[in-house]
Amino acid sequence: MLEPRPLKVDAPKMTARSVNVYYGAKQAIRNVSIDVSMEDVTAFIGPSGCGKSTFLRTLNRMNDTVASARVEGDITLDGEDIYAPDMDVVQLRARVGMVFQKPNPFPKSIYENVAYGARIHGLASARADMDQIVERSLRRAGLWDEVKDRLHDSGTALSGGQQQRLCIARAIAVDPEVILMDEPCSALDPIATARIEELIHELRGRYAIVIVTHNMQQAARVSQRTAFFHLGTLVEYGSTSEMFTNPRETRTKDYITGRYG
Amino acid sequence: MSDLVVLPDRAPTEWRGTAMRRRIARRYAAERRFRALGLLAVLVSAGFLAFLLVAMLGEGARGFRQTELSLTIDFPAAHLPLTAQAVAREPRRAMIGVDLEGAVANAAERQYGAGGARLLSDGAWLTARDAILRDPDVLGRSITLWVPAATSIDIAAKDAGEPAAEAAYAKLSGRGLVRTVFAWHFLTSADSTDPTLVGIWGALKGSLLTMAVTLLLAFPIGVLSALYLEEYAPKNRWTDLIEVSINNLAAVPSIIFGLLGLAVFLQTFHLPRSAPLVGGITLALMTMPVIVIAGRNAIKGVPPSIRDAALGIGASRVQVVFHHVLPLALPGILTGTIIGMARALGETAPLLMIGMRAFVATPPGGFTDPSSALPVQIFLWSDEVSAGFIEKTSAAIVVLLAVLMAMNGVAIYLRNKFERRW
Repeated sequence: MLEPRPLKVDAPKMTARSVNVYYGAKQAIRNVSIDVSMEDVTAFIGPSGCGKSTFLRTLNRMNDTVASARVEGDITLDGEDIYAPDMDVVQLRARVGMVFQKPNPFPKSIYENVAYGARIHGLASARADMDQIVERSLRRAGLWDEVKDRLHDSGTALSGGQQQRLCIARAIAVDPEVILMDEPCSALDPIATARIEELIHELRGRYAIVIVTHNMQQAARVSQRTAFFHLGTLVEYGSTSEMFTNPRETRTKDYITGRYG
Repeated sequence: MSDLVVLPDRAPTEWRGTAMRRRIARRYAAERRFRALGLLAVLVSAGFLAFLLVAMLGEGARGFRQTELSLTIDFPAAHLPLTAQAVAREPRRAMIGVDLEGAVANAAERQYGAGGARLLSDGAWLTARDAILRDPDVLGRSITLWVPAATSIDIAAKDAGEPAAEAAYAKLSGRGLVRTVFAWHFLTSADSTDPTLVGIWGALKGSLLTMAVTLLLAFPIGVLSALYLEEYAPKNRWTDLIEVSINNLAAVPSIIFGLLGLAVFLQTFHLPRSAPLVGGITLALMTMPVIVIAGRNAIKGVPPSIRDAALGIGASRVQVVFHHVLPLALPGILTGTIIGMARALGETAPLLMIGMRAFVATPPGGFTDPSSALPVQIFLWSDEVSAGFIEKTSAAIVVLLAVLMAMNGVAIYLRNKFERRW
């Protein structure tokens, strides 16, 4: 098998080298190496079951919660091995936040949803401090104007798109360095999707963003770098514009042109 | 490539043919039959419930009422070795050795003729004693009191007595010397040998103390076990074994738990016999598996996405459990707990084994005092020979049902209060 060429990034935020992931005896990820840049939005694309979500979840060790999952290889955050024994997984997940496929706000108030992470990590000392964190996070997530008058209503009463932006605000509130988004728009309508994509543009540069999507137009719209996964391997990784206009691999080309997927 | 198989053509299905019509008619008939059977089943169970409630409430209502007899006691004539001053100074002490019972019996004989004392309850003198304690000055004059009537009169007053007693009652009633009142003492006193004097409070308090011990032990242990098994335990052969054992434990007949309590708590640890403490521990053993099972189901019902959400922003596992899983599972856990507690409250067999069937005439003062329990008290009274105990048994059942309904009401309230919708 060809060694996938990791696209070198100047001062990468996260790096992965020769990563293999197994679920029991089944290998889900084969020898993936990739760099995640701070400046760009990185999109993972590929057909269902290609391992892009699995790989995403190794970046903040969410796979630890799956008893049968096993990860090999090196993954670093700012040069630190995140699978090292002295790495605190709780802090790692605060630094590498995550937004899930289905909006999953806590069944608590909007305020509590955003404040929760900051509270458990002790980021705010006073009530006013916390109010500020909540407001800033909601503003960054583009939700403030819609919810500022009903911060104490339940987060689950919002519409799907608003819920997803609430989840993004919740992730932002703990001041992460990287935000992983696992198909964040797959449960949303086109208007809510457009709103989230707009938001991703606004957040770019402040956070390293990795987004998994099976919507290629979305990858083309929001990302600057794209990684194409197929059957657990990284087929191609490069700048989005190049990948969509001039793919190097036939498999990538076939997928992008809709030959399969 | 697979071989080509040529299948014969079928005639088009006749959706409007007679065969099809008959099939539809049969389907409708089956629907109607099933609905009628379901309705019948509901009516039968509702009928049983109504019968039980009407029978118990009817009989029980009589148990809550008590017939009293008017009795005039002439204290100066009784020549009691008792003075108003002595009573005022040291009430309890002054009463020692005073034959108040005899004085009351004499007064009854005087007022109602020979055999008059038999019209009174054995405890009639207690009313006289209370009157003296309330106001020692009555010792200097003659007073008229309402004292509890004997069981035979009490039953006659409720239209179920012997002919002789009925006649006696009719005569007394004609002269306005009897009345029937609400038996407050039934709710405030404990067991007695005389059905006109018995009360449910001793057994009720025993049951409440027992339940307190059960809840304090079974709830934390059950909830922690459920949380550990669901959230922490690895899924392997050992946890499977534990799960099967807990399920089996929930199905063990209660008398076995009673034997366990007898052998372990009484004979090995020498804890006091007949005590709510031991009863509570024994019932906790029985209730814990119910709470574990209900708790695990409630915890399983918490959507995994909530756990992901909390883990994803860096909550530790303990924080996930206590900030999210437990609050969301709480309605289910509480419902299961209260159902388990209600079952424990109605449990008789294990309590018999650890000695809570003793005759206890005073309400327990604490967790280690000898005590009875509601279901055991019902069992004991239903075994009594005296006819007056029949309605008292029913009244005790009404009290037990009322407590159970209150517990279920609390369960529903808590479930609705804590239930979250998403």
